[in-house]
Amino acid sequence: MNMFSKDTAANAAIAGKAERISVKDLKFFYGKHLALKGINLPLYDRQVTAFIGPSGCGKSTLLRVLNRMYDLYPGQHAEGQVMFDGKNILDRDLDLNLLRSRVGMVFQKPTPFPMTIYENIAFGIRLYEKLPKSELDGRVESALKKSALWPEVKDKLNANGMSLSGGQQQRLCIARTVAIQPEVILFDEPCSALDPISTAKIEELIDELKSDFTIAIVTHNMQQAARTSQYTAFMYLGELVEFGLTPDIFTKPKDKRTQDYITGRFG
Amino acid sequence: MAVLTKDMARYGSRKRSSMIAMGLCFSATTVGLTMLTIILGTLVVKGAGGLSLAVFTQNTPAPGNDGGLWNAIYGSLLMTTIGVCIGTPIGILAGTYLAEYGRHTRLAGIVRFINDILLSAPSIVTGLFIYTIMVKPMGHFSAIAGAIALAVIVIPIVVRTTENMLLLVPNQLREAASAMGMPRALVIRQVAYKAAWTGILTGVLLAIARVSGETAPLLFTALNNQFFSSNMNAPMANLPAVIFQFALSPYADWQKLAWAGALLITVAVLTLSILARWLGSRS
Amino acid sequence: MADVMTDRTATLERLGRDRASVLRGLGFSDKIFNTLTWLAAVSVLLVLGAVFISLIIGAYPALQAFGFSFVTTAVWNPNTDKYGAFAPIVGTLITAFIAMLIAVPIGLGIAIYLTERCPLLLRRPISIAIELLAGIPSIIYGIWGLFFFAPFMKENVYPSLILAFSHVPVLADLFAGPAYGIGTLTSSLILAVMVLPFITSVSRDVFDTVPPVLKEAAYGQGFTTWEVVKNIVIPYTRVGLLGGVMLALGRALGETMAVTFVIGNADKLSTSLLAPGTTISAKIANEFTEAVGDLYTSSLIALGLILFVITFIVLSIARYMLLRLEQKAGV
Repeated sequence: MNMFSKDTAANAAIAGKAERISVKDLKFFYGKHLALKGINLPLYDRQVTAFIGPSGCGKSTLLRVLNRMYDLYPGQHAEGQVMFDGKNILDRDLDLNLLRSRVGMVFQKPTPFPMTIYENIAFGIRLYEKLPKSELDGRVESALKKSALWPEVKDKLNANGMSLSGGQQQRLCIARTVAIQPEVILFDEPCSALDPISTAKIEELIDELKSDFTIAIVTHNMQQAARTSQYTAFMYLGELVEFGLTPDIFTKPKDKRTQDYITGRFG
Repeated sequence: MAVLTKDMARYGSRKRSSMIAMGLCFSATTVGLTMLTIILGTLVVKGAGGLSLAVFTQNTPAPGNDGGLWNAIYGSLLMTTIGVCIGTPIGILAGTYLAEYGRHTRLAGIVRFINDILLSAPSIVTGLFIYTIMVKPMGHFSAIAGAIALAVIVIPIVVRTTENMLLLVPNQLREAASAMGMPRALVIRQVAYKAAWTGILTGVLLAIARVSGETAPLLFTALNNQFFSSNMNAPMANLPAVIFQFALSPYADWQKLAWAGALLITVAVLTLSILARWLGSRS
Repeated sequence: MADVMTDRTATLERLGRDRASVLRGLGFSDKIFNTLTWLAAVSVLLVLGAVFISLIIGAYPALQAFGFSFVTTAVWNPNTDKYGAFAPIVGTLITAFIAMLIAVPIGLGIAIYLTERCPLLLRRPISIAIELLAGIPSIIYGIWGLFFFAPFMKENVYPSLILAFSHVPVLADLFAGPAYGIGTLTSSLILAVMVLPFITSVSRDVFDTVPPVLKEAAYGQGFTTWEVVKNIVIPYTRVGLLGGVMLALGRALGETMAVTFVIGNADKLSTSLLAPGTTISAKIANEFTEAVGDLYTSSLIALGLILFVITFIVLSIARYMLLRLEQKAGV
């Protein structure tokens, strides 16, 4: 554990970046089952951090701690510290909705709401801000532009969100998240349900988004991690095995398990 | 060789008994369909004979006079509407508790169980219940007591369908809405209800279909009324009670009206259930 | 660079403050909505409780006057103000029992035909038609029974039944004339048609929980369709089927209007199934509004209480069994 903190400090020094979220000794339980066994990890400000590892390693679980998604389900709880803006995310009396408005999430399967494309985006904005119609239109447009969907939907904003293709739906979900101006965006295998072309578009988008947002992405696709992220965390059986700059993890992993995984010997 | 023939013979007899059994199952289906045809057929033949414009414009007559069913139709529509308007919001809210806020709680488990029992409980008991808590203290029968008795029947139907339909809404949708910082109430009202509304509407339609034919709970609450009345605080005519009274009477013209009323109710109820089914299959 | 940073931090801070206040308001409305749904859910329990309590209070005078003998006495006489529930209780149990005897095999047969044999194209229309039977209001069954079914039985069926069994001991008493048409057997038959769709639809649902591999394996062994049904499908779904049957039984026990039209509302028990009889619900429906005197009314409410307790028990067992099947199927 000490080794990691030294490492991360070194990496931070290299990048000269501030930690946006700091995970400290995080344990997570599904009922009695210990799914995360003491994780220490930084998420650097406006950088993309990828979580990789074989299925069941806890990477999605970790992601769902960062916006307390697990709170929707009884029997799941977390211990330790996840510091965000000087506050521990795991605090019992934290305003969950406020947290989630600051830490957005994009899911594995595209989940457009059962309403029009325009409403899908305006909905979230309207929740927090009372804006005149023209300003709201502008915000919707800019969110759609940011998610590279504008040219495809600008003539059918009143069509149902479900009528879009899978890749478009996913970009709609990204636009929806971006529109409420979070500080952090979590991506949970955002491309696993998409074709290669849509995937490329989303990856490009993630790269652009990092100039405004701190990003964490869970992926089982190592090329994707290599392409999109600046930092990579390799997890195995509920432990963080290795964390570092993405090129380092992929070219000179320190741990045997990391090496085995990225060379495809298991997973 | 001998063994083979014996096997073949055994297989033959197994095959025969299977065919007989499946033939009986087919006959059972025929019996069910025949009953439906006979009942609907009788209803159309006898009911159509009693139908006329007067049925919709005139009130229930004294024996031997001309008349219609207007006061009963009006009373049925009014009490069903009020009953559904009272029962539906309670049912939707309770169904929402079962599927959303309380999904995994002990209370929800108990409510679910009790609700399923109320769903099949004898409706005549509902009539007795409302009689004891409303009609008796008030000292007289009233349309509002009838409407509330119907509401008591509406609630469990709407609770069940609302819960079922909300459970069909994928959890991912709830997670996605929660992930935007939406409080649970908004997630439910703006997202889950929007995704499930056709299903919930199906439940409401089924509830309307069910109560518009209910007789037993009205007998001791709204009673009946020979005349037109829109006073909720007084007895009110309603189709089922009129059918009951007229069918069991010795007068041929009353019996004729009873058949016309029966046809009206059946057409309304079956149209509603088919509409509900169509809506349900669309969602 | 530093300027941009502070600018961004300031924006985020302002956003955070705005959101926090918005969310406080929304959080409050969330609490209200949560409480409303909770109240509605609890009201379902309150309704059940209120039904029980109101019936017990209403039945109290009768139960106090007659004690337990209310259940065992067959006298029902408004003139002497003596009431006993024995005849309607027995009538209720008998009509429901005969109805189940007829409806269970037919309902199961339809379900088996629909799941195993029916051409796909016809499956949906036939299921819908059978379920329409359940949608027809019970008063319609009543009027149809009174004017069509009872006369039909009286003319065409009962005379031959009486004749056929006239020299068979026991059965001669059960099917003794005269044939009025209305009576216990007619009521049972109509009840059977009414509960048929419940049995069919529950059975069909539980048949669908049989894993296809099980059936395929059996067919692979050379089982015939009937053997698969008898040895795989029915044993596998036993609990659920029983639940469905209990559910239908609950309906049959409590059914009012259809029975009221055709049972004849007799005060006395008769050994013949062709003779007029009565059931709890028919008695209440027939006499409640005309009942004069507190003891008379109270006795009818006591009948209602007994009916509610019986159906409550039957339906609880039904739900318990269906719940067990659901858990097994891992729904």
